[in-house]
Amino acid sequence: MTTTAYSAPAEQYDYEIIKKFTIMAIVWAVVGMFVGVYIASELAWPWLNFDSPYFSFGRFRPVHTGAVIFGFGGSALFATSYYVVQRTCQTRLWGGGLIPFTFWGWQVVIVLAALSYVTGYSQGREYAEMEWPIDILIELVWVAYLAIYIGTLMKRKQPHIYVANWFYVSFILATALLHTFNNLAVPVGLFTLKSYSLFSGPMDAMTQWWYGHNAVGFFLTAAFLGMMYYFVPKHAGRPVYSYRLSIVHFWALSFMYMWVGTHHLHWTALPDWASTLGATFSIMLLLPSWGGMINGIMTLSGAWDKMRTDPIMRFMIVALSFYGMSTFEGPLMSLKDVNALSHYTDWTVGHVHSGALGWVAMISFGSIYHMLPRLWNTQMYSVKLINVHFWLATVGVLLYIVAMWISGIMQGLMWRAFDDFGNLQYSFVESVAAMHPFYAMRAIGGLFFLTGMCVMAYNCYKTIRQGQAEASNAAAVAQAA
Amino acid sequence: MAENTVQTTGHTWDETLQEYNNPLPNWWIYGLYVTIAFAIVYWVIYPSWPVGKDHLRGIGTVTYTNSAGQPETNGWNTRAKLLKEMQDGDARQKPYFDKIAAMPVSQVVKDPELNSFVLSAGKALFSENCAACHQAGGQGKVGLYPNLADDDWNYGGSVAEIEATLVGGRRGYMPAFGEALEKSQIEAISSYVLGLSGHAVDKVKAAEGNALFHSNTGACYYCHGADAKGRKEFGAPNLTDKVWQWANVPAAADMNGKIAAVRNVVTAGLNKGVMPAWGGENARLNPGQIKLLSIYVHQLGGGK
Repeated sequence: MTTTAYSAPAEQYDYEIIKKFTIMAIVWAVVGMFVGVYIASELAWPWLNFDSPYFSFGRFRPVHTGAVIFGFGGSALFATSYYVVQRTCQTRLWGGGLIPFTFWGWQVVIVLAALSYVTGYSQGREYAEMEWPIDILIELVWVAYLAIYIGTLMKRKQPHIYVANWFYVSFILATALLHTFNNLAVPVGLFTLKSYSLFSGPMDAMTQWWYGHNAVGFFLTAAFLGMMYYFVPKHAGRPVYSYRLSIVHFWALSFMYMWVGTHHLHWTALPDWASTLGATFSIMLLLPSWGGMINGIMTLSGAWDKMRTDPIMRFMIVALSFYGMSTFEGPLMSLKDVNALSHYTDWTVGHVHSGALGWVAMISFGSIYHMLPRLWNTQMYSVKLINVHFWLATVGVLLYIVAMWISGIMQGLMWRAFDDFGNLQYSFVESVAAMHPFYAMRAIGGLFFLTGMCVMAYNCYKTIRQGQAEASNAAAVAQAA
Repeated sequence: MAENTVQTTGHTWDETLQEYNNPLPNWWIYGLYVTIAFAIVYWVIYPSWPVGKDHLRGIGTVTYTNSAGQPETNGWNTRAKLLKEMQDGDARQKPYFDKIAAMPVSQVVKDPELNSFVLSAGKALFSENCAACHQAGGQGKVGLYPNLADDDWNYGGSVAEIEATLVGGRRGYMPAFGEALEKSQIEAISSYVLGLSGHAVDKVKAAEGNALFHSNTGACYYCHGADAKGRKEFGAPNLTDKVWQWANVPAAADMNGKIAAVRNVVTAGLNKGVMPAWGGENARLNPGQIKLLSIYVHQLGGGK
């Protein structure tokens, strides 16, 4: 494919690793979103569990979250961070053999995790279900990733480190910290996957949600802000709106996020003071989070005309809008009294997906559409299909979160409804029955999003084949000459 | 937009990337201050920062009734708030429960207000404690849990009998006849039993079954009664009606299937009709709740 005779810009940077991660990001997105639609359908039509543990919601759910967060999100972050750090440092990646190790190691992690969930192995920690041998492999991959990133930054040919890199580094560092401490566990035996957490009771829960919310904060927010800080100004061809805002909101965000995990544990055995701190730091996190949205939207604001013609710009602006919406909704839900209504309901599920689909996936789509033709030195196969993808994805997210808002708030209200005599008005199962139409609506929303994703996969496949064909033609011409 | 007035920071990355040196938007800064002020107010109201071995208690309070029956005010905390809410709920319902406890059942059902209360509280209690097995409307599940919404009662359908069932629980049992009787004998008994509820069965077999049913070989009559209408002392069901709890006769497509359904029960016996006790010491329900629930269940399907 790449011959020595052909001199492309690719020579300047290490693009092979980025291509691999980009392809796997798309593959895992299709797989993970398919499983997501399947489990959403299981909730609406439970016969889809087939009375088999291997198809059950409980085992498929972490397969879904693992494949979309770590498979799709993780691979997209590896790809874009390797792209961004090289281009903004004007240097090739440092690390030699460590670089392919991060790719193969990470892919093995995703596959092993999914297999272990389906066969019934889980730590029972949300988003950290992987058992200890997989955790050790993650640790090794992550240390290699950190070394590569820092090594590359150190040999940069630019005097200053671009803002996107701060966010990527904070994501890598924080994830290392979170992963290590949340997974401290004692294996039952050397040859068994089962292990028990080192912590117990509320401390265990608090460690888990310190991890859980910072996985959202650093993996799904800071890292994707890094992506935003490169791809939005680059694609719009405009300077970042405010350097000062980027510094202030970066440090405020990094500082505040670490405190907020306890808002997942309101009204539990967790000490009240810890839950109060979680709520207040969540409130104080609102503006630091919005700093990223402001910087993104204001950067785009000189290029509104492109919105009409460029679907990639649309992905970016919609991503920023959903980011702003869900970072407003989050602090609201973290207040004790709002949480008393929202906790354990579908509202939480809707909130997560407005962030995960609306923000994380949309900004990744925009970035990959920008990056892919540059990696393969060609044009996107079809701009029309990007547009189709955009509308399918947007309608899908809206159906999803509207369904979950209605069903979540309805659940919360039904659970706390009393009749004239002070008796509970509804039984739990009545609330479950009331959810059914919204579960169906959510599954349909997910199906829209998945369909859009399949359109993207096809479009990207054709683009890559086109790039490869052009490259071999060019090589043939060069050889003939 | 400060397009031409604001300078960039002077750095350029990747050929085109630059940053304006715009100041922080004012609304952003003031917004941040507002959230900080909000947080401080929250810290003042609720328990917050840890200090030494204690933590700031906050000025919020909760007043509840302590174990001595006296009102007690404590700093805001989740457990006190739960206790308080539970006490408020109990206090609201106490007058009704007291009246029901003091009144004979026959009078409770005649009092419209108390009757409404029974329906309301009964639904909540039933949903929480009974519906997991007997299903939301008490319709039960064939082969597993008896239907409470019909007028067929294995252990008796008076309020007192239902109350006894609730307090002590039940353990339904029928011995397995597979080892005691020949296959042909069980077949005959099954035919006879089906004939009792009007099914068209082989008359010869049914006659043989009739004899076995009332003999000491089969001894079915001992629990189900000589008239086969069941004996509630044993929880032995009436075999002459069309209510089938264990053998799913209505679901069988043809006569062979119906006979097979009964035959399986006779052959293997039953020991799964277990209902836990809800009364007594350390019980989940108190006597007032059990009385109310008995009246509620009695009303679900014509009680007796």
